Amino acid sequence: MEIKTVTVIGANGTMGCNISGIFASFGNAKVHMACRSMEKAEKAVARAAKSVRAEAIAENLVPATFDDLPACVAESDLIFESVSEDFETKEDIIHRIADHVREDAILATGTSGLSIDKLAEMYPEKLRSRFIGMHFFNPPYTLTLCEIIPSEYTDKEMAKFLMQYAKDKLVRTVVKVADTAAFLGNRIGFQFINEACQYAEMYKDNGGIDYIDAILGQFTGRNMPPIATADFVGLDVHKAIVDNIYNNTKDYARSTFILPDYIQKLIDQGKLGRKVKEGLYKTVVNEAGKKIQYVYDIDSGEYREKMRYSFPFAKKMIDSLHQGDYKAAFDSLKHNHSIEAEICLSFLIKYVLYSITAVKLASDDLHAADAAMATGFGWVPPLAVIDALGGKNEFMKLAQDRLSSELLARIKLKETLKDLPAGSYYDFRSYFKGKQ
Amino acid sequence: MNKVYVLGGAQTDFERNWSREGKNVIAMLREVVSDGCEDANITYDDIISLNESDRVSCFVGSFLSELYNDQSHVGALMTEVDPAFFGVPSIRVEAACAAGAAAIDAAVTKINAGEADVAIVVGWALLNTVDAATNASYTARGTFVEKESKSSDLVGLYGRLTDAYLEKYGVDDKRVMRALAHLTELAYENGKRNPKAQTRKLFMNEKQANMRGCSTNPLIAGRLAQSDTVQITDGAAVVILASESFKQKHCPDRTLPIVKGRGFHVAPLELQTKLAEARVSDYLLPWTQRTVAQAYKSAGLTANDIDVFELYDYYTSAELIELSCVGLCKPGEEHTLVENGTIAFDGAKPVNPSGGLIGGGHPQSATGVRMFLDLYKQLTGTAGDYQIPKPVKNGLMLNMGGSATSNYAFILGME
Repeated sequence: MEIKTVTVIGANGTMGCNISGIFASFGNAKVHMACRSMEKAEKAVARAAKSVRAEAIAENLVPATFDDLPACVAESDLIFESVSEDFETKEDIIHRIADHVREDAILATGTSGLSIDKLAEMYPEKLRSRFIGMHFFNPPYTLTLCEIIPSEYTDKEMAKFLMQYAKDKLVRTVVKVADTAAFLGNRIGFQFINEACQYAEMYKDNGGIDYIDAILGQFTGRNMPPIATADFVGLDVHKAIVDNIYNNTKDYARSTFILPDYIQKLIDQGKLGRKVKEGLYKTVVNEAGKKIQYVYDIDSGEYREKMRYSFPFAKKMIDSLHQGDYKAAFDSLKHNHSIEAEICLSFLIKYVLYSITAVKLASDDLHAADAAMATGFGWVPPLAVIDALGGKNEFMKLAQDRLSSELLARIKLKETLKDLPAGSYYDFRSYFKGKQ
Repeated sequence: MNKVYVLGGAQTDFERNWSREGKNVIAMLREVVSDGCEDANITYDDIISLNESDRVSCFVGSFLSELYNDQSHVGALMTEVDPAFFGVPSIRVEAACAAGAAAIDAAVTKINAGEADVAIVVGWALLNTVDAATNASYTARGTFVEKESKSSDLVGLYGRLTDAYLEKYGVDDKRVMRALAHLTELAYENGKRNPKAQTRKLFMNEKQANMRGCSTNPLIAGRLAQSDTVQITDGAAVVILASESFKQKHCPDRTLPIVKGRGFHVAPLELQTKLAEARVSDYLLPWTQRTVAQAYKSAGLTANDIDVFELYDYYTSAELIELSCVGLCKPGEEHTLVENGTIAFDGAKPVNPSGGLIGGGHPQSATGVRMFLDLYKQLTGTAGDYQIPKPVKNGLMLNMGGSATSNYAFILGME
């Protein structure tokens, strides 16, 4: 089978548009970009070509409306649905296309939260085996993760083919994931992010949001601190993801997916984050034209200037990382018992343990969580954290030392760490930044 | 003359932006030197004991560290890597973008002369400390600044070189420009197999590369566009060379490549003088050709014996011109090798299976060392996904500095 023609439905959305660019460039496929109006579709074509920095692919991109869908899908080897995340909207699309889809075509959905099994059941029986989840991360040109989620009805050969195609042709990092809440990358990532948001509330008297972000900054293995990431993603999106996981999972970390009240309050006020220029953070330009970072103060409900925290452990870590002395960096984290260092290290430990728990539920390959976090979030992969902290035995000791016995009992530490691979495929060094 | 063995080496991931990572030159050197020593199976204790008998030296290729990093005395930076390097002789070697090859040349000479048993050769560059415009003006220091860089930068000179090529051989310019676009496509394609290549996630094809002048591929030097050249890259590479006696003692059972031949010539610094001189030669870059001829002669080999090439594609047109310099065809016929697949990954004479500079990245001073390392990998069958499909007995690299001014060639091969 060859993917020569693709229809992307909802191609004017950020994901639909960028993914059209991926199919048209790496995949060299003709892509029908179907939108609710021709005007939207034409604009989306230009954006899609720009998203992969290649005007040469513009001729592969064909603007279309939903009225054209019957003809578009009839011609397509792969149909990628990327419309709003609710069952009614998706159902409407299924009605529009079901009678026109070729029986050998692949029907993929880009959903990041809805159940693939449930969506499959909305298709006529004869098409169910051709339906599959194909979850990209934004922006896909730089974040190469592609989670492939077969439903219980999916044809196994087709799933295999699609994985190979995504890897070889589309230059994706492919992980096969079971149909679990939020799949793999988001489940692990938003556990960390939401628990950081909860800690901000817990430590609101110490500073709250910017205090926790300063403890879990870039030097802890990411490009952006976690609460700033929630702000960047959008608080509405954050809420949709954590609510979904909270409602559909029952592992030991379930309570860490409870959305903090202050975030709900901000959502109610329309303060959804960076996309509307205010949320957990906002940037204010003062009279002198200088940009000043403000942060939401949980206690007062007002914005205040972001503080410049200077924690001795973080300062030492950053200084060591700056000079590439990784051992010294992690020694300063491990040997410091200030409240901030304790929070930082416990977050790293919990991140690893939750990743292992989640990956065991969603995949038969423990390395899948590493691939997901490295290429979907740009975070240090969990197994690489174990390497950085000194290996499995040292990690186990740290976990026993630093987590409460109540939590350890819930996690079942020894069982979780059983049968771990010898190390990560990823090199941890590039992930821990020499800066805040 | 003592034989020179290649024990191993390492390179950093050329996709990394070390400024964005908040890491300095010491972080880069620590990482690449420890990875390289590990690959070569040399410990820091080995270095200490070699230094006790004055048998180890370091050579550090570095082009513009004063400008990019506000740092001179670059050889001495090795002492910051690890106390094992306290007391080890270490010097900086500079020859514009050929600084890495120049450092290798110095190291080979040292071992040839019997003055060292182990030489550690490093090339590094941290270029993301400045913006693109500043970067272009800094790189122009590789020309004759007073005469050439007032009116043009290094980029401009390669545009003129391309025009001179078309004029000299009277080849159909559309055909040549398409061949150049195809070289870009090959560079990206090859880069996709190399887990340390800068462009491994990026999209490019011949068509996009041939759409010179569009907004996603603007012209930058005469006919040449952005797709015809490299992107700003941070990176370092290290190779570890050893004498025969050390090799026999340290790893008698390993089959390792040796340096079979090398060449080094410096062409006139000014491009105008180069081109004037070339009027009486069949070659547009006669000193580049002479450099390769010298390497062949010293190795007792010809182009027929070479299984893999790492050439200097600072610009696609430079790579094209080099194809005749390394003896793969007559001058003026280079584009046919591109068109007929000879130099492709699975072709008869693969060129730049690593992705080269355009696909793999070009951290200036690191490039020559990276090329040398890639030949080592191809020869020892350790190039992983970018190991070429055919067997490799000999490989050739060509590194140039400035507007094809400093020319270095090395031939590595199995005994």
